[in-house]
Amino acid sequence: MSDVQTLKDLKKLNEKYEMFNAFCEDGDLGDSKFLFSAKDNLTSSEYETCAGSKILGGYRPVFDATSIANLKQVGGKLVGKTNMDEFGFGTFSTNSAFGVPKNPFDRERSCGGSSGGSACAAAVLDDHLSIGVSTGGSICCPASFCGTYGIVPSYGRVSRYGLIDYGNSLDKIGLLSVDPAKLKEYLPVIAGKDPMDPTSCIQPELKLTGRKMTSVAVPKEAIEGISTDVKNTFLKALEDLKSMGIEVDYVDMPELKYAMPAYYVLATSEASTNLARYVGMRYGQQEGDLTQKFDDYFTSFRSQYFGDEAKRRILLGTYTRMEGFRDRYYAKALQVRMVVIDAYKKMFADHDAVLTPTMPFVSPKFSDISSMSPVESYKADFLTVPANLAGTPHLNCPCGYDGNGMPIGMQFVTDHWNEDQLVTMAMEWDKQFEVRKAEVKV
Amino acid sequence: MKIGLEIHVQLPTKSKMFCSCPTTDAPAPNTHVCPTCLGMPGSRPVLNKEVLVCGIKLAKMLGCSIADTTWFSRKTYFYPDMCKSVQITQYDHPIGVGGVIYLNGKKPIRITRIHLEEDPGKTKRTSDMYALVDYNRSGIPLAEIVTEPDLATPAEAREFLGQLIQDIKHTLDLENSERSIRCDCNISVGKERCEIKNVTGLKNVETALTYEMVRQIKVLKAGGKIERATMNFDETRGITYGARKKEFEADYGYIDEPDLGIYHIKELADSITIKEAPAKMILRMADQYKIEQKMAKQLVSTSTDLAQFFETVAKEYGTENAVKWVAGPVTGNWKAFSARDGAKTDDILAVIGKFVKGKITDTECGIEIKSVMTGIDASAAAQSSEGLDKLINDYLDQNPGIVNDYKKSDKAANRVIGYVMKQTGGQYTSAEIVESTKKLIEARL
Amino acid sequence: MGHPVFNMDKEIVARVARAAHIKLSEEELEKYSKDLSDILDYFKVLDEAPDHEGAGVNPVEIADVLREDVPDQRIDSAELLKDMKTYDNYIRGPKLV
Repeated sequence: MSDVQTLKDLKKLNEKYEMFNAFCEDGDLGDSKFLFSAKDNLTSSEYETCAGSKILGGYRPVFDATSIANLKQVGGKLVGKTNMDEFGFGTFSTNSAFGVPKNPFDRERSCGGSSGGSACAAAVLDDHLSIGVSTGGSICCPASFCGTYGIVPSYGRVSRYGLIDYGNSLDKIGLLSVDPAKLKEYLPVIAGKDPMDPTSCIQPELKLTGRKMTSVAVPKEAIEGISTDVKNTFLKALEDLKSMGIEVDYVDMPELKYAMPAYYVLATSEASTNLARYVGMRYGQQEGDLTQKFDDYFTSFRSQYFGDEAKRRILLGTYTRMEGFRDRYYAKALQVRMVVIDAYKKMFADHDAVLTPTMPFVSPKFSDISSMSPVESYKADFLTVPANLAGTPHLNCPCGYDGNGMPIGMQFVTDHWNEDQLVTMAMEWDKQFEVRKAEVKV
Repeated sequence: MKIGLEIHVQLPTKSKMFCSCPTTDAPAPNTHVCPTCLGMPGSRPVLNKEVLVCGIKLAKMLGCSIADTTWFSRKTYFYPDMCKSVQITQYDHPIGVGGVIYLNGKKPIRITRIHLEEDPGKTKRTSDMYALVDYNRSGIPLAEIVTEPDLATPAEAREFLGQLIQDIKHTLDLENSERSIRCDCNISVGKERCEIKNVTGLKNVETALTYEMVRQIKVLKAGGKIERATMNFDETRGITYGARKKEFEADYGYIDEPDLGIYHIKELADSITIKEAPAKMILRMADQYKIEQKMAKQLVSTSTDLAQFFETVAKEYGTENAVKWVAGPVTGNWKAFSARDGAKTDDILAVIGKFVKGKITDTECGIEIKSVMTGIDASAAAQSSEGLDKLINDYLDQNPGIVNDYKKSDKAANRVIGYVMKQTGGQYTSAEIVESTKKLIEARL
Repeated sequence: MGHPVFNMDKEIVARVARAAHIKLSEEELEKYSKDLSDILDYFKVLDEAPDHEGAGVNPVEIADVLREDVPDQRIDSAELLKDMKTYDNYIRGPKLV
C-alpha cells in the first residue's frame, strides 16, 4: 500500500481495529516524506489529546510534544493519535474511554497495553512508525502481542515535553515498527537534550555505531511461571542467538521479585499527584455547576469522568504516599529501585544484555481479560517492569508464533544509555527471523 | 506565651520559578501565563537559577547551614488557585536549616528552616459566589522562612518581623521593588497552638496576634480548652476567625519532584557572598570600633555606604578620626552627597588625609569636607559655615543656661537647633545644624 | 519485617478517597477496599527487600539542570485561554467557601 492509499483507508481500518482516537481525515499527504502515528498521551496541536480519558475530552493542546515536533521536522506526517489505556493504566488497552484496539492477528484478542493502538498501527499500516510511551512495559508488551519491534530508550533519552504524565520518574518515549531500520533511523531524531525537559539534559550523545552483542544473561527467574508456548519459543530463540555467535548464560537475579511492588508504588504515587490537576477547570471537561463548593465540584468531576482503573490507581497512589504509610511504601520503593539498578549493573559487568521473554503468555482473548483480577493483570507485567523501573533501555524482538499464529516476543535489556547494541541486535535479528505480517483486509 | 512565624517572601527574579513568564505587573489577568504555570497536561517545570541564588543569600543571612544537595517535593492540595493541585515546594531537603537572628542584637530568635516554593495564583470572590482566578502570580518564586516559637509577645513579633524585612530587603536589593511579604502566625497561650494564615503587613501581624492572644486567654479563663485550629484574619475588622472545619482533611502526601532532579549547590553557595545585614552591621561596628550602638545605628541607617566609609577611614586614619569626621560632618552632608552624580568618597578621604598629616586645620577640614561633598566652592562653604557657627554662638551667648542643661541631657541642644532652623529657613540641612550645634556646645563645656 | 499484615479497612479507603477527591458509593468502597487489600498483600515482599543507602529521585541522576533568569513568552496567552471558561480574562472556578 502506498502512503496515499493508507491515508485513504484509515477510516475503514480504524473501524475494524480501533487503533486511533483521532486521525487524519483529509487524506492529504502534502509534501511529507513518511507517515507516523503517536500515542494519544503526546500533545499535538492538530488533534484532540485525551490520553484515553473522558476527563480530557475536548482538550486541544496549543503545542506539540518534542518527539512529535522532531519527526515532523524531518518530513513526517502525523496521521493519528493512537488508542491507549486511560493515562497508560493497563496491560491490554481495555481501559480506554474511546474503544478497544483489536489485535491484527485475531480481533478477539488484545493488542496489549498501554500503547496498544501504536502497536496495532505499526502492525497494520504498511511501512509505519509509531511513537509509544512506556512506564512499566507499555511498549514491549503491545509490541510482543502484535509481533512488532519496539524500542524503549533509556530514561531521559527522549524529551518528555508534551507527554501527559503517568509516572514522571518512569515514563519513557520510544518507537514501534515491524521494520527495525525505522527504529535505527528515527530514534536519533526523537532523542536529544531539550531545554523544556530537564530530565533529558544530562544524557550522553546517542551514537549508533553498530556494536554487536557477544553475550546475554538469562535470569532463571524469568522462565518460571510462563506459558509452555512462550517458553519453548524462547528456548528456540536462544539457540538461534547462539548460532549467531552470542554466548547465553543462565543467571540468578533474585532482586527482580522486588521490582513489581516497587514499580507499582512509585508509578501510582506519582500518577496520583499528576492526576490531581484534573478537576473540571482550565482544560478537558469543564461543564459543571460552579455554584458548588470547590471540594464538591472537583470531587463530582473526578468521580464522574475517571475510569475504574484510574480510580483504583489514584487510591493506591494516594495511600502509598500518605503520612504514616509513606516510609513503608513510597520511601522504601525508591530504595528498592536502586537495589534493582545495582542488580542490573552487576549483570552488565559481564554481559551485554539481560534477556527474557517479553510477556509470560501470548495475547489473551478479551473474554479472558474481563475475568482477571487487578493483581492478576498487574502480574502479567513481571518481565517488563524491572527494566522500566530501572530506566534501562530495552527492546522487543518478535521471535516466534504459537499454534494459533499469535506472536511471541523476547526482550533485551542493556545498560543505561546503551541503545546502540539494542538497535544493532534488532537489525541483526531481522536478517535471520522472518516477521509475519498480519493479514489485513480493508 | 509562644509565637512563631512562617514568612513568605517573593523573590526578585525577572522570570517565574519554573517557566519564563515575566514577573512584572501584568496588563490584565492571565496574561503572564504559559502551559507550565497554568499546569496544562504535557508541560514541565525548569528551575530558574536565580531562585537558588536568592535562596542561598537568604539562608546565609539567617545563619542557616546550607545543604550540599537540595531538591524539591510535590505537596498535593486541591484549591482553585493551585493549577496543578500540586505545589512544587521543598520538604525533607530544604535549602537551609538551623539559623538564628538576634532581635535588636540581643535576643536570639531561632530559624527552623528556609525553603523555596512556587506561589499559587490569586482567587477573587464574586457576588454570585463563583471564583475568578488569575494565574499571573502562579509560579512566582517564594522563600518561606520558618522561626521557632521564640517570640514572647505580639509586639515582639512585630519588631522581629520589621527587623527581618529590613535585612531581607537589604540582602536581596529589594529597596526599590514591590515584593510582597506574607506571614502565617502561630501562637499558643496555653498548650495548643493556633495558626493565623496569610497576614500581610507589620501592623496586621501585631493586631492579629493580639486579638488571638486575648481570645485564647478568655477561653482558658472560662475554663475552656484551646483547640488546634487554623484561623483567618479579617483586616478591616482587626479580628481573627476560625476557618470552617474541613470535611476534606489536608493530606499533602509529599513525594519527591521527579521532573527536576537534584541540585548540588555547595559550589554555588561558596561563590556567593552577601551584603552584611544592617542589624548585624550595627552590632559588629559597635563592638569592633568601641563606639556607642546609637552612633553605629545612626551611620548604618543613614546608609550602609556611609557605614562602610566609616570603616575605610577607621582603617586608614584610626577610629578617632572616623568618629570625628565621618560620624560628624560627613554624616551631616551625606544626603546632599549621595544625591550628586559622580561624587566620590575618595575625595572626602583625601581631605581627612590632609588633616591627619597636619596640612589643614580642624576648621578648614570641616569646610573642605562640606565643599567636596556638596559641590559648593570652599569659600562659600566657609562663609556659610561661619554664618551658621556665628548664629549658634550668638544664641548660646544670649542663653548661657543651655550649656549647663546640656550636661544633664543633650536634649537641651534642641532649643538651639529649633531657633537656628527657624532663622535660616532651609539654608542648612538639619544634619548640618545638629552637627554644628553639638560641636559648639561641647566646645563650651 | 515487623509490619503487621495490613487489612485495608473501609474507613481508611474512605479517608484516602476523600483526600483524592473521589466519591465512592458503598458498593465501590467495598470493591476498592478488597482490591487494595489484595494489592497491598502482594506488595508485602517489599518489606523483605534490602535497604539501599541511595534513594535517587530518578533512575539516572539528573543533576543541576537550570535555566537562566530571562523572561520570555512564546505562546500567546489568549491562545491558551481559548477553550477555558473565562470572565473578564479571569478563569472561572467553583465557589471558594
